[in-house]
Amino acid sequence: MLNSLSLFIGQKCQIVDSTGQASASLTPGHSLLPSATGSTAVSWTMHRTDYSSSENGLIPTSTYHHNQQTEPLSREVQDGLNAPSNASTSSNLEAANGPQEYAGYSSYTSSTDAYGYGNTGYQNGYYYNYPQQTTHSYSQQGGVYEHSGASYQPLISFQNTGPASYTSTYYNAADYQTTGGYPSNEYNNQTNLWNQGSYAHYPSHQYSAYTSDSNGAQSSSTVAATPLHYQQQYKPWADYYSQTDVSCAPGTENISVASATTSGCAVPGHTGGYPFSNSQPPPPGTTSWRPEPSSSELPSSQQAGAVTGDAHNVYWKNENGTSGIQNNVNPMPSYFQMPLNPNPLPYESSQDQQKIACPQGSNLQYSTISQVPQSQVPQNYQPPLQTFPSPDTRRVSKLQVPTNPRIASNLGLNLPKTDKDSSTTNAAAKPAYIGVSMLTSNDKVPSHESADSMFKMITKASADGTLYTRDWDTEPLFPLPDMHMVNKDGKNSGVVSSLPKYKRSPSRRTKSRWEPISEEKLVEKLASVNHVSVKEFSSGICERKDDGWNNSKLPSLQQQTPSKNSQRPVKKQRLGDTVDAAENDGASSDSDKEQGLTAYYSSAVALANSPEERKRRENRSKRFEAHGHRANVKHFRQKAVGARSFYSRRASVLELSRSYEDGGSRAVEDIDWDSLTVKGTCQEIEKRYLRLTSAPDPATVRPEEVLEKALLMVQNSQKNYLYKCDQLKSIRQDLTVQRIRNELTVKVYETHARSALEAGDLAEYNQCQSQLKSLYAEGIKGCHMEFSAYNLLCVILHSNNNRDLLSSMARLSDEARKDEALKHALAVRAAVTSGNHVLFFRLYKMAPNLNTCLMDLYVEKMRFEAVRCMSRAYRPTVPVTYIAQVLGFATVLPTIEGSEEKDMDGLEECEEWLRAHGACLITDNSGEMQLDTKASSSTLYMPEPEDAVAHGDTNLAVNDFLTRTS
Amino acid sequence: MAYLSMGEAHRRISDYLNRFYDSVSSQDGSSLRQLLSVSSDSPHLLSLADALNVFQDANRLIKQADRYSQLGEIIAPLFRCLQNYRIGHLVDAYNAFEKSANAFLLEFRNWESAWAMEPLYVIAYEIRVLAEKADRELASYGKNPEKLKGAGSFLMKVFGALAGKGPKRVGALHVTCQLFKIYFKLGTVNLCRSAIRSIETARIFDFEEFPVRDKVTYMYYTGRLEVFNENFIAADKKLTYALMHCNPRREENIRMILKYLIPVKLSIGILPKSWLLDKYNLIEYNDVVQALKRGDLRLLRHALQEHEDRFLRSSVYLVLEKLELQVYQRLIKKIYISQKQRGPSKAHQIKLDVIVKALKWLEIDMDVDEVECIMAILIYKNLVKGYFAHKSKVAALSKQDPFPKLNGKPINSKGTHKNKNVPSVLGLIIPFFFFNFFVCGGGGG
Repeated sequence: MLNSLSLFIGQKCQIVDSTGQASASLTPGHSLLPSATGSTAVSWTMHRTDYSSSENGLIPTSTYHHNQQTEPLSREVQDGLNAPSNASTSSNLEAANGPQEYAGYSSYTSSTDAYGYGNTGYQNGYYYNYPQQTTHSYSQQGGVYEHSGASYQPLISFQNTGPASYTSTYYNAADYQTTGGYPSNEYNNQTNLWNQGSYAHYPSHQYSAYTSDSNGAQSSSTVAATPLHYQQQYKPWADYYSQTDVSCAPGTENISVASATTSGCAVPGHTGGYPFSNSQPPPPGTTSWRPEPSSSELPSSQQAGAVTGDAHNVYWKNENGTSGIQNNVNPMPSYFQMPLNPNPLPYESSQDQQKIACPQGSNLQYSTISQVPQSQVPQNYQPPLQTFPSPDTRRVSKLQVPTNPRIASNLGLNLPKTDKDSSTTNAAAKPAYIGVSMLTSNDKVPSHESADSMFKMITKASADGTLYTRDWDTEPLFPLPDMHMVNKDGKNSGVVSSLPKYKRSPSRRTKSRWEPISEEKLVEKLASVNHVSVKEFSSGICERKDDGWNNSKLPSLQQQTPSKNSQRPVKKQRLGDTVDAAENDGASSDSDKEQGLTAYYSSAVALANSPEERKRRENRSKRFEAHGHRANVKHFRQKAVGARSFYSRRASVLELSRSYEDGGSRAVEDIDWDSLTVKGTCQEIEKRYLRLTSAPDPATVRPEEVLEKALLMVQNSQKNYLYKCDQLKSIRQDLTVQRIRNELTVKVYETHARSALEAGDLAEYNQCQSQLKSLYAEGIKGCHMEFSAYNLLCVILHSNNNRDLLSSMARLSDEARKDEALKHALAVRAAVTSGNHVLFFRLYKMAPNLNTCLMDLYVEKMRFEAVRCMSRAYRPTVPVTYIAQVLGFATVLPTIEGSEEKDMDGLEECEEWLRAHGACLITDNSGEMQLDTKASSSTLYMPEPEDAVAHGDTNLAVNDFLTRTS
Repeated sequence: MAYLSMGEAHRRISDYLNRFYDSVSSQDGSSLRQLLSVSSDSPHLLSLADALNVFQDANRLIKQADRYSQLGEIIAPLFRCLQNYRIGHLVDAYNAFEKSANAFLLEFRNWESAWAMEPLYVIAYEIRVLAEKADRELASYGKNPEKLKGAGSFLMKVFGALAGKGPKRVGALHVTCQLFKIYFKLGTVNLCRSAIRSIETARIFDFEEFPVRDKVTYMYYTGRLEVFNENFIAADKKLTYALMHCNPRREENIRMILKYLIPVKLSIGILPKSWLLDKYNLIEYNDVVQALKRGDLRLLRHALQEHEDRFLRSSVYLVLEKLELQVYQRLIKKIYISQKQRGPSKAHQIKLDVIVKALKWLEIDMDVDEVECIMAILIYKNLVKGYFAHKSKVAALSKQDPFPKLNGKPINSKGTHKNKNVPSVLGLIIPFFFFNFFVCGGGGG
């Protein structure tokens, strides 16, 4: 494995040397990687072990050291409980940290709460974070890992570059955790986030799991805090992914895994001991994961905080060789330290790296990586697990160096770099990243090519100073380059696909990433939220990204990015782009392109930071204020959510709900559901109703404008009720999933209720009526009176419940009582309760609106009762003509013919009806048909309805069904 | 609130703790009761609440003394409840009280004897009252008022703890009544059914064994349920029981019972004396009674309209509305009497036109068809004996007792007016059943 790694490294180095050629060299490396995965895995494990060891070592130290974390132990234990307080403290700490970057981080931490410590003092916090996070992360990671089959993929991405991967890998709640280690700052934040919400939440969410869910969960979590960066990145990526389906694929696998992992993870986390986690995680994770090559890896990752690290490790392993996993762990600590020490710079660097990875490697890597990691990871992870027992994160890094000479050299290089950057820890982290990137680089190499075009463009733009001003939407997306990019991506994916692990990714990637359509869709859908990320990715325009947030924050981000970008970004970019190069020399930032990319990334990061901060604030405010900042939260969340929105949103909701539960008093109702709401993009006016069995897909959900047209179409349709009902139900469904509750909604329900009444479909009518009731109660205008009348009639005629009747009568306002329809309904009620059939049928003839339809359903009963009454009260006979007149037969069948014939029809019908009900009819002297009351009084009976069906629903009659479908 | 020294606060809290402990250890239910009645606003509890708000670490005091420790689960949340109640945080107060009540119930199960019934009653009462207050607070925030529901489920637990063979079973009815109050308030009266079933069918309960006040309350609520169902005979029985056993000095309670008993009695043909309505301030029924006496349909409709809100709220509107038929009956009877005075020979034949005219005179506009229908219904429901000849538009009344009195039987009550006394003017009508709910028939003729 080491050999293979070394080979890779060598390749990477080459790549670094000549970026242009690097792609070629890299590609071979990639190919090698897949084949070498086994060996690489070993190397990874080595790294991982190192990392884990290092982490472990760091953790204890950090926890102890942290003054701010006065109660490190308690916090770790309490996690969720402390979270609020911690969050507050963390926020404070963060504030203390001061730097913008920190703020971003702090926001992350705040979201994480307990984890937030890291925010307070990165250095201190890092350590603390590590311990806590590690424990947490382990547990969480377990969840994450589990969640994410996707997460694993993310892990890969992580490996590529913590930040970048994050963005790309949404999946990656797991990533987050892992990242927690990697990006130190970001990672911590992420991990924190995960930890906070995720410990409890993630597992469940993940379980619920949408692989994408995991992403979603992450995004949600990210929404809370870290999300900003991630979200942005995620969004774009998420979009791509969502389009590509990447998320889906991971998700399924992930889910199962996640469950297993979670259990294992939780245990580790609780124990806090890395070794424990490692040992435990493997079983859970391994079970699910093992079946799949990747799965085996995953378990390992899950097993320990290391898990995240593991994923990273895997990458690292590739880079470093076996030590990769350990390295990953190490990087985590180092990053943490970095952020703490260097403050902004390290953070930026980490972010940049992440970002870089995202753009370059992440694209390719994301799809490919996710799968790849799984396959590779297992092997790697398992070894790491073993290695984990000896946790000294920093040591690990050192260990790694020794273990893998070549890798070590890389690491060493990285470390120096980090040192150069700001802090040694950073350096350590960088190596890890580098390693990751290297690993990813293999995959990424192709992407790098594509990325190169992007870089070029971006660098150009940046050189021109038009980077931010240019309208990237109009810009041909890497027009030719794009094509190339796409192709490259495809190639990359192809490469990836060639790797056993990458099976799914290729096609998805090709589709999702750079296709304008997808982007457009994203833009439309995501609008505020996703726009930023998408645009950034597509256009690189920071401003667009975050609506309000972006604008305000972007400047800072941009500023940051330049400074950082110049040096670190380049490195990182290269790392991401060409992992080899990055590993070899982060300093060897070659071209302006890289800078451009870095700027791009940095901007994304900055954006992320700002949203994170805001999220942080929101979280805080949420904690202390019930409602205040919902709007903001919504924005963030929406933004964060990204294209995958549905799954991720759902997952995030779950997470949120869990987190809220943890919080204790927070109820589900406090969740901002708006942010999780689907936004449809379907433009089809006609849509068949299909009961949802999964989260709605925005592509099949129609937005409000289209629904309006659909409603019009249905209203003007000449087709039968079954068709209309089907259409209206689908409209209702789309309204519901998008949580649209306005006058259109009322119109739809009213339309449906009316057509249901016309068709005598009481079941459907009742559904609409109950919805309308609550809609009216919300103050939405509609035909309130009309439907109150229906409601009243319904209660009178069909439920026959005095209490209901009384309560609905008591609810009527004076104004309502003056309404024509309601007056009619009340009169009908009086006629019914007194049994006054004459009055009833008079009202029946003059019923407004569709009151007739409701009364229709009661006519039979009323007539029968009336005839019984007559047969009892009248002697000796009653003329049938009178009965026909009084009991409304004349108008039952409206005929166009003359009144005479109408009467005749009514008479005949009445006679038929009477006979059907057992009445004795005689003809008197004058030839007029008479009801013999005395005779009839004993023979009247209510016949079984002729159209009765055994199953009770005539609509289900076979013939009808056939005609309906034809 | 006057300044309160820490020492004084400490003293008050310890005093309360001592009293609490003493009353439990001496099984003094009545003194314990006072310590639990949060909403009673007793000066003692108010001062304790003040002390608690000053002396924040009362829990330490509870924990310090071993003798309190077993009661700490009850007292600690109770203190929180008192504090919150004092400062108007009613939701928090309720939540704390529910915790305390649950802890108390745990202890209560362990107490063999029934000494703690009074404190339990107080808790059952307090939890309901606090829940109502908390719900009001929740509603004012626009949140879902759900505390009363929670109180209901707690009381179900209490009921479970009492429904046994032991001496505590006499408390079951009290809890049931508190449950009724909650269910009626929530409008979920169907939930009463399970409690009623266990009270009326379980062998462990002997209804007469329960305290009178609980029996009265129980009969009142079950009587109201029967009014809902328009089961007038049963409603009459239950409400009359409640009225007879109600403490005569509790006029408000008597009024509440009468509010339902009067419509029930009216619908079975029994009219109250006017002094009764005056005495208990039930004047809304005056016009109804007058209308029944006079056969004045207009007055009845007017009375219903005037007090519609009130009748709807007390859910007797539909019952009163059904009195209309009795008013028609009275009207026809008056016509019949006046005809009889003019000429007894044809008095039993009432022309439809006459009735229409009479209604016109009452400013009620009905045409012949409608009046004919009303007549048919009256005959059909056995309020009038006779038949109607469509051809000649004449109602021919029975010469014997054409207007049978209800005499405590509801209109159209199935099986009760089976023409036993109906003169066989109408010829042969064989009783028959339709479905299982309606019996219509005439005596063989």
